[in-house]
Amino acid sequence: MRKVILASLLGGALLFSARAESPTPEQLQILKEMGVSPADVIIEEGREYYHNLKGTTGKTCASCHGQDGDGLVGAYAKMPRYYTDIKRVADIDLRIKSCLEKYVGVDASGKKGRKIIVPLAGYVATLSNGMPISVELKHPEEKRLYEYGKELWFKRVGARDFSCAICHDVLAGKRIRLQKLGAPVRDKLYAHWPAYRISKDKLWTMEDRIRGCYKSFFLFDPDKGKFDFKKNWVKKPPFYIEEIIALELYMKRAANGAKIEVPGLLR
Amino acid sequence: MKRGLLVALFASAGIIACQPASQAVKQEKQTLSAQAKTQEKVDKAQLFRKALNAQDKWQKACSNPTQIAPEGVDVAQFIKEMKETIKYPKDGKLVGDWKKGESLALLPKEYKALYGTKGGSRKGNCYACHCGDPRIIACGNIGPSLRGYGNKGIDPKLTYDRIYNSWAQVPCSTMFRFGYHGLLSPEEIAHIVGYLHDPESPINK
Ligand code: HEC
Ligand code: HEC
Repeated sequence: MRKVILASLLGGALLFSARAESPTPEQLQILKEMGVSPADVIIEEGREYYHNLKGTTGKTCASCHGQDGDGLVGAYAKMPRYYTDIKRVADIDLRIKSCLEKYVGVDASGKKGRKIIVPLAGYVATLSNGMPISVELKHPEEKRLYEYGKELWFKRVGARDFSCAICHDVLAGKRIRLQKLGAPVRDKLYAHWPAYRISKDKLWTMEDRIRGCYKSFFLFDPDKGKFDFKKNWVKKPPFYIEEIIALELYMKRAANGAKIEVPGLLR
Repeated sequence: MKRGLLVALFASAGIIACQPASQAVKQEKQTLSAQAKTQEKVDKAQLFRKALNAQDKWQKACSNPTQIAPEGVDVAQFIKEMKETIKYPKDGKLVGDWKKGESLALLPKEYKALYGTKGGSRKGNCYACHCGDPRIIACGNIGPSLRGYGNKGIDPKLTYDRIYNSWAQVPCSTMFRFGYHGLLSPEEIAHIVGYLHDPESPINK
């Protein structure tokens, strides 16, 4: 369904061009003029899950949070934040996963879980559209993770001596290949996440984005010696770990005040 | 019209360093009990943390908000220590075979596009950051252009050292330390030096 919409929008060729330059505002404008964002279908899927997905408890998201997400308006603007029921700072991914497993009674682990969590995250995020990001650091755990996120942002590590800041502060505005490097912190880019990635035909949450970026670090297990493509490459952090949430907290706090406009549309 | 435009706009080729999930297809063994799965997750998180904590002391010195000026260490000492890590090929030849160097500098995709045959490597990935061979259009602008590099009269030993350990010349450079990290062997670096210096190399033609 999604693919059909995309293909008719873009003549199909786009689907097969897995790598491409970042779309310019004009290009995105063309898509907007066409009246449909290919991401709408995924958001719709999320809305469907929200109202109808049932697990072992017989409850749906809507049973607790109201029809059409009434009780979740503005919630995304404050995430990541500390939640007493799970005693953890959660981002939108982990918050939804916890609700699915604890209250709805659906196994949301692994790849299968992502297929439910990501559309739901997209849907719940849209409920905060137009509102300013307002991440507060009140709970001690929020403060601790924020500081950890900041440390990770600048931490140069791995066989490529990279850090987030190298590509997204120091080199922001330059190109890796034809890929323009953005400045998520300086330019408050969090406002358009989760984002639909045209080249992948997928909605990505910030967790997906951060895991993808860590892959480029060439991290390795020091006990096994040096980096090796086949034998010693620690490619990505697992989903939902505190390192990812810490980086999100750092970047989203920096985006405070920016108006949420999701899903973003990226190349 | 719109359609043609979009296709042209989005389809331009380019390979990025920051690649997403696609090929990480992990086979989840269905026989694993829930407990074993949890254990596996804990192990993965621990492995990731171990890798993150494997930062060396020079990386640590470069991890401040400037990112490019070492902190808490003496710069001269930093450079001296980085120089001491540099190893040379056994035969002592610092300028190798430019054709082999080219194959190390180009990605398999790029190599195939130029020569129609198998070659190239993920090891160098030089064009992610540099331009050089004018036939390669999908090149980055993070480092200076290497076009005509061999005609500038630069000492090949300096080039060798720069690739082996850029931090011995520019502490905290964004160009990573290829030899130091074992991404390229001394012999491989010599071939890339050939690629940069040889008058026959497309870098200089
Ligand atoms: C080697 C360079 C590199 C490093 C290091 C890197 N990234 Fe990225 N990052 C990229 C590229 C390239 C893109 C754009 C990819 C695209 O458009 O699909 C990107 C995109 C992003 C975006 C989305 C920006 C937008 O336009 O909305 C965020 C957020 C981000 N990275 C965060 C991080 C974080 C956090 C880290 C550290 C864990 C990191 N990056 C490390 C290269 C890098
Ligand atoms: C992540 C980015 C990056 C990659 C990958 C990279 N370089 Fe560089 N390179 C740089 C930057 C940035 C500089 C200049 C400033 C510095 O060192 O900080 C540089 C400088 C150089 C110089 C010195 C140029 C001069 O005019 O003095 C040479 C030679 C060089 N690079 C060769 C290579 C080769 C060969 C490769 C691949 C094996 C490569 N680089 C890969 C970023 C990169």
